[in-house]
Amino acid sequence: MVDGLQLDGAAGAPRGGTMTAARDGRGGGGPLLEVTDLHVRFRQRGRQVFAVNGLTYKIAASSTLAIIGESGSGKTVASRAIMGLLPVTAEVTGSVRYAGRELVGAKERDLRRLRTNDIAMVFQNPERSLNPTMRIGPQIAEAIRLHMDLGRKAAHERTVDLLRRVRLPSPERRYFEYPHQLSGGMRQRVMIALALSCQPKVLIADEATTALDVTTQAQIMDLLLELQAELGMALILISHDMGLAASYTEEVIVMYAGRAVEHAATKELFSNVRMPYTRALLDAIPRVDAPSHTVLPMIEGRPPDLSIRLPGCSFAPRCPDVQDDCRQAIPTLTELEDGHEFACFHPCGGGNG
Amino acid sequence: MSAVLAPSPTNLEAPAGDEHIGKWASFVASPSLRLTGRRLLQAIPVLWGVTFLTYLFLNLLPGDAASQLLGANATPAEVHQLEIKLHLNEPFLTRYWHWFTGVLSGNLGASLANGQSVSSILGQRLPVTFELVVVSVVVTMLIAVPMATLAARKPRGIFDRVTTILSMGGISIAQFVFALLLVLLFSDIWNVLPALGWTPLSQSIGQNARYLVLPVMTIAIPLAMFVARLLRADLIEQMDSQEYIVTARAKGLSRWAQLTRHALRNSMLGIVTIFGLQVALLFGLTVIVEEIFGLPGVGQALLTAVNDRDAPLLEGIVLVLAGIVVLVNLLIDVTYGVLDPRIRHGRSSV
Repeated sequence: MVDGLQLDGAAGAPRGGTMTAARDGRGGGGPLLEVTDLHVRFRQRGRQVFAVNGLTYKIAASSTLAIIGESGSGKTVASRAIMGLLPVTAEVTGSVRYAGRELVGAKERDLRRLRTNDIAMVFQNPERSLNPTMRIGPQIAEAIRLHMDLGRKAAHERTVDLLRRVRLPSPERRYFEYPHQLSGGMRQRVMIALALSCQPKVLIADEATTALDVTTQAQIMDLLLELQAELGMALILISHDMGLAASYTEEVIVMYAGRAVEHAATKELFSNVRMPYTRALLDAIPRVDAPSHTVLPMIEGRPPDLSIRLPGCSFAPRCPDVQDDCRQAIPTLTELEDGHEFACFHPCGGGNG
Repeated sequence: MSAVLAPSPTNLEAPAGDEHIGKWASFVASPSLRLTGRRLLQAIPVLWGVTFLTYLFLNLLPGDAASQLLGANATPAEVHQLEIKLHLNEPFLTRYWHWFTGVLSGNLGASLANGQSVSSILGQRLPVTFELVVVSVVVTMLIAVPMATLAARKPRGIFDRVTTILSMGGISIAQFVFALLLVLLFSDIWNVLPALGWTPLSQSIGQNARYLVLPVMTIAIPLAMFVARLLRADLIEQMDSQEYIVTARAKGLSRWAQLTRHALRNSMLGIVTIFGLQVALLFGLTVIVEEIFGLPGVGQALLTAVNDRDAPLLEGIVLVLAGIVVLVNLLIDVTYGVLDPRIRHGRSSV
């Protein structure tokens, strides 16, 4: 479905500050986005919360990556840290390199030029992520006019094209409607149109379909994937939904307590789970083929209190396979099998548990 | 079949069947008009209650119009004679009924003090008070909105700190003290503005403005400080906790643009509500301000009417002021709809 919309360099707009990155996907060219040893700490009234503790990953253009984890595992904080969207109480250290440029500690002015233009985000709650007092069209056109040298009329046209592109019914009319006049799925389409408005290189979908019902969820995911492939974007899918990651991405990172605990190609990860936490997450998915009234396996205990730093593995208190050494030292994320990294002294599967 | 199962979105969202109902019917059915009608009906018992209570309380005050008008040296016989002339010897309820039926037939009666008709007194004095209030409200907003927005741009920055101190001062100071301070500075020391008096707008715009400056400052500056405080707090709250602000940041907008294009409109909703509550207070304030600066407005007449126990005049003023407060609150509800599209479209917010 390619219609009149020319996302590339519309009206000869200069794409200020953008560097051309490798477009030929994985393999060729360096990574488009490289996150190295990212730490985020919140400080408020003497209390400290260690939200992200040394996250490392990279993603190339045209590829897809899922970051999976429970609420509070630091996945959202980590992705907002990339765009510099965290509140001032957050202290971000480590490195985020986009197309060779360091973003951690970069000037707000430079980051602003990057946002939406190069790295864009679709948020979890389309209900609250759109300004309720503003018509949806101008909310998109605003971003276009900010980053592209387009006039009022051209921005309007581009917005209508974008709305058509995300298959919002009757985009010309919807342009003038308010968020409350749209359904949840339509609102998320608007958010996607906004995120794509300046043709970013990296799209971060932060629980983009969580607030939607299942059929809408599938439609939105298909739309995202289609646009990702067509525009050659790198897509980072942040979710707590294992199924979503399994069906839509090429690579998966499982996060726990602000750390990556397992990282592999999607197929490899789901066929050969090594980290007990990932195992537990998968086991907690209800099965249709199980007899009725089977007790749903759940992970004992609670997600860790991130204001306390444990000397050992943060999953140790809840881990079924916990041993003494798990409480003494933090296992690092290491590549123990080809392309499969995990942070565990006693991995499940593979016989050495 | 499928058309029945899946109604088209236009049918769901717009009252598309308007054509055959006709324009008039859809106008009558419009939510804002129904709201207006309901509110106007509700105003009737309010207005009646206000006038009745005012009559009652005035009657409970010691002394009556006759003794107040004649002064302390009058003989009881003279007072009694005037009481008969002004019908003050009749029972309270009879007098109220007399006044009330007069109002229903459109006659507000005449002042007991000088026999001038109440409606002509109101006609002379209302424009003065009205001008004072309207200009004060406009000036309040002109000060408060930019001040709050600038302060919210950098919370705890230098501008924010300075305006915080100014605001606390403005909120704490009593208006009559502030008025005297202004008179001292502008009239006494610098001698640039008149401290007393009035020239109507129709006579000279320039003179009118000169007489208006100090009274307006007396009302607008403390009020602006109060509004700015609330608006700043609400703006910062919006900036810190609202998801749509994160979206605005993710677009690459500057903090100033986030504030002015996104947060301000949402914050104004709360401010408008507060303003509605302040209107009644504002008219109360005009009594003091008009008395201090010698403006021939309704507030000044109200004070005289109470002193003279001039029931018809007082009732006329109270009726009109109560009516204005009701209307302003109605207007605020309508403004609310303009600011918040969710209300305009007759749906509950989500």
